[in-house]
Amino acid sequence: MSTNNNITLYFKAEQNVELQSEDVYIKDIGKMICADANILAKVKTIKLYHFKKGERKRQVISMLKVIDEIEKAFPNVTVENLGEIDVLVEQINVDKHKGPVQAVKIAFVSLISFFGTAFTIMAFHNDIGINEVFSKLYEMVTGQAGDGYGILEIAYSIGLAVGITVFFNHIGGRRITKDPTPIEVEMRVYESDVNKALIETADREGKMIDVD
Amino acid sequence: MLIKQIFMAVLGISFGFVVSGGVFTVLLSVGLIPRFAGKMHIADKIFVLEEMVVLGTLAGDFLSIFSDRLNIGKWVLAHNLSGSAGTITAWSIISNVILIMYGAFSGIFVGALALAIAEMLNTIPIFSRRIGFRHGLGIAILSVALGKLIGSLIYFSQQVFLCGGV
Repeated sequence: MSTNNNITLYFKAEQNVELQSEDVYIKDIGKMICADANILAKVKTIKLYHFKKGERKRQVISMLKVIDEIEKAFPNVTVENLGEIDVLVEQINVDKHKGPVQAVKIAFVSLISFFGTAFTIMAFHNDIGINEVFSKLYEMVTGQAGDGYGILEIAYSIGLAVGITVFFNHIGGRRITKDPTPIEVEMRVYESDVNKALIETADREGKMIDVD
Repeated sequence: MLIKQIFMAVLGISFGFVVSGGVFTVLLSVGLIPRFAGKMHIADKIFVLEEMVVLGTLAGDFLSIFSDRLNIGKWVLAHNLSGSAGTITAWSIISNVILIMYGAFSGIFVGALALAIAEMLNTIPIFSRRIGFRHGLGIAILSVALGKLIGSLIYFSQQVFLCGGV
């Protein structure tokens, strides 16, 4: 152990980590730096938790517990946490994110997205009576009743396509600008909301892994 | 005549542009697709889902705007693609498969959308807090689902769409 009097270890905890192993080590739940490489290496291998068989695969570990473990092992180390204060740890099976099951899931959600939005836009057009609006407009502009399938409808469809493409910011898997697409933004917001809710639930139910 | 056509084209493009913005802002603020992706653990394939949203909207757009020109069923039956009897049997199977897929998947989408909107307005949390609801939320949700199922069946079987509205 180092003889230095007071060493600071900077720790940046993640909000959510997914592990494949059954043991949770400190190195799994965040990144850290420390002036003393020896201490750093030892801290990283401190074991925090072990997922037992048949137990909940999702645990919340309080940073207090982490700091407690580190300072128990190295009393002269001060831990400075720069990241999250609670970490959600999930144990996942190796094959969960691969294989035919995932392909089926993607196909399923894709089909929902496809038919769902097709239905939504059709119902919307039906709701606003778009064909009547367009034929009325034809009459107003050209002075004669249109057959309902002319330049206006084609231009509307093109406009819709361009609008969606600009809105979603990509054409066929290629981004137009470097910004994340709206659904990607929404995805991150949703994930962080879920993590927060899980952490708060664990806290309220007293199931968080914390100092006693 | 040309100037009128150009005017129409400009109008049409602007309509489409603004409508797509409006429709998708609603869809996004409800956050339905991220939720599907999150539940299914396929967040890394979100591009595919966005593609499907775009394609689905365009397909629906074409089907409803050009509804009189896109009578695929009539076209197939009129052209007798594989002998008259064969075409009729084959097409009745294919068209039923298409209809079942359209119905089932758009049903899932609309069901999720309805509850997501209800949830965005905080109906469920507010109610459950007001009446001191602690347990049985699962039963409440199941009741909502069954209510929707029965309501939908009544709507179609009793032809509710014929009365009211227009």
